[in-house]
Amino acid sequence: MSNFLQVLIDGILSGLLYALVAAGLSMMWGVMDVINFAHGEFLMVAMYLCYWIGEILGIDPLFSWIAGGIFLFLMGALTYRLIIKNSLGKAAMAPLLATFGLSMLLKNFCMNRFTPNFRLLSGTIMEGKTFEVAGAIVSLPQLVTAIFSLVVLLGVYWLIKKTRVGWAIQATAMDKEAAELMGIDTENIYLLVFGIGGACVGVAGGLMTTYLAVHPEVGGLFSLIAFVVVALGGFGSIPGALFAALLIGLVESFAGFYVAAVVKYVAVFAIYLVVILIRPKGLFGW
Amino acid sequence: MQLRKRSMFAVLMVLVFSMMVCSSAFAADKVIKIGALFPLTGPAAVSGQNCVNAVLAAADVINKANPDINAPLAAKEGLLDGYKIEIIKADHQGKPDVAKSEAERLYNQEKVFAVIGCYNSSATKPASAVAERAKKIFMCGCSSSAALTERDYKYFFRHAPTDAIESKEFVDYIEYLNKEKKAGIKTLGVIYENTEFGKHAAEEAHKAAKAIGLKVVADVPFNNGATNLNSEVQTLKAANPDAVFGAALGGDYSLWVRTMKQVNWLPKIALNYCTGYQNPAVQKELAGDGDHFMGGMGYSPALAKEFMPEAIKIEKKYYTPRSNQPFDSDSIQEGVMLFVLAQAIEKAGSLDTEKVVQLLRTEEFPSVMSLSGKVKFEPGGQNVYALSVITQIKDQDYKTVFPLKYKKSEPVFPMTPWDKR
Repeated sequence: MSNFLQVLIDGILSGLLYALVAAGLSMMWGVMDVINFAHGEFLMVAMYLCYWIGEILGIDPLFSWIAGGIFLFLMGALTYRLIIKNSLGKAAMAPLLATFGLSMLLKNFCMNRFTPNFRLLSGTIMEGKTFEVAGAIVSLPQLVTAIFSLVVLLGVYWLIKKTRVGWAIQATAMDKEAAELMGIDTENIYLLVFGIGGACVGVAGGLMTTYLAVHPEVGGLFSLIAFVVVALGGFGSIPGALFAALLIGLVESFAGFYVAAVVKYVAVFAIYLVVILIRPKGLFGW
Repeated sequence: MQLRKRSMFAVLMVLVFSMMVCSSAFAADKVIKIGALFPLTGPAAVSGQNCVNAVLAAADVINKANPDINAPLAAKEGLLDGYKIEIIKADHQGKPDVAKSEAERLYNQEKVFAVIGCYNSSATKPASAVAERAKKIFMCGCSSSAALTERDYKYFFRHAPTDAIESKEFVDYIEYLNKEKKAGIKTLGVIYENTEFGKHAAEEAHKAAKAIGLKVVADVPFNNGATNLNSEVQTLKAANPDAVFGAALGGDYSLWVRTMKQVNWLPKIALNYCTGYQNPAVQKELAGDGDHFMGGMGYSPALAKEFMPEAIKIEKKYYTPRSNQPFDSDSIQEGVMLFVLAQAIEKAGSLDTEKVVQLLRTEEFPSVMSLSGKVKFEPGGQNVYALSVITQIKDQDYKTVFPLKYKKSEPVFPMTPWDKR
């Protein structure tokens, strides 16, 4: 029973983290129909930023995630202004290839500046802290990350559903020309969406430095899973991203323990394929 | 007369200029290109960069006059009649298909004389197959999959002990602990990356365990570069083996250790193949969490102090300035392979591949950077003097605990539980 509970808790905690990483991507993809191939590298940049803030200034990731969120908001907005905006309306693959180029640039820049060494923050407030629930061990850093994920996701959901800016985002996603005719500045909306997308992944990356090593390749598998979460949950849907991420976390965890550890990602991608075949728009697609 | 003088001057200038061009052309020709094919990006990039740095350090020892280093080819500059080694770096990203195409590029376009590589056994396998087809030399330092030297290749040579040798050493140590320390180690768990290296290591672990009646209660492969190892460690914890053999590279190794801490579980003893365990940079990041884990090593600063003093000189002069750390057990072996190749070329007196290969197959070479002090290859290319010892990490320091001949420290056994550290 404690094994079952442990696997369940691990699955939920992983799922909530995936949801936060994927939320930003979901918005960019859903609103602008732009695939940001540099999403994993955004995560890596946030992790490096919070790692160095912790290492040099001694500020714990429990607080430095704010810097991660702000920096990645600006980075997302800048990416839109300097790269995406200039590639939209050109060749169909231009934005995709541009973000791919950006991902290579960021990865190789970090490789060059920080070497491929794995960097792990030690002496953080939550380091190694755990507690037991009915025989299952819960990692405090992962739990806190998961709680932050939920809060940020709820915040983004509220922003989209309950505010005028959110309605403008939805309108832009549905019909850009009509939104412009209604007086919505779609350029600013795009900028904001890229910024919010970056901020989500920035917060995730900042918090992850409490328990994961930072290195130039760290974003790789996270971004792949984020793509699956977005496609599974439905482009642009925050509840969809949350549901899909939890599903993926649980499938990964249960398949990994009860079937074989090596098949955990096979199970994730198999479910993704099945859902996409049955419902190409994803579970909660706009 | 004036015209004749001018003509003669012009002819002289042309001659001098021609000689300058020719001599620089000859000088340019006196280069032996050697490919260094390693994972310079990707999950094993840290180790790959260290391997390249070790090869570059060895090249510096050969190319420059180093009378302070007592090693073959160190005292004079270059090889043969003034040839210099030029290292051509290539990155296979830890991917077998990239390793194959990069090996083809190195041999066919860069015209390298030999390739040294590839760290990952999964990359070494296809890259060395390219070399074998092209009848070119492939020198492998630390890839440990036993299968590599079971192919009966003619142009492939490997320095490192295989997983089979390390597995045997691990179970020998377990037998010793059971007999002398009443350790009561009866069950084994194996956790390994799902690659050529990991699968072969696990296969050899199973064979070695069977040989001493150790029951394998958990066999846990995982995908390298995973986002988490929760299920993997949970599987180990549920089976609760007395001993665990691990084959996890770089970041996966630190994730494995941290996840075990998170679930508050440890076996009595954890022994690692050539993995992240051997990388001082990984241990530095793990700090105290890395303590009491064990693994096979062909090099540690403490071992070098006693058995490889010249290696320390090379390390200080040419390696540490590049890598900011001492040699590690993997990287040093790649440097050794360049030294061995250079000695074979020098002995052959030419760059005739067949002559050099013949010498590599038959001769014994002194090696100041090998624990055994010498290298000799058997048919198939395995170094018959391959040697590793079992070390344990204490305060980020590798302490030799087995074989008894090399023992420098009493092992901490069983491993101290996380909540008592």
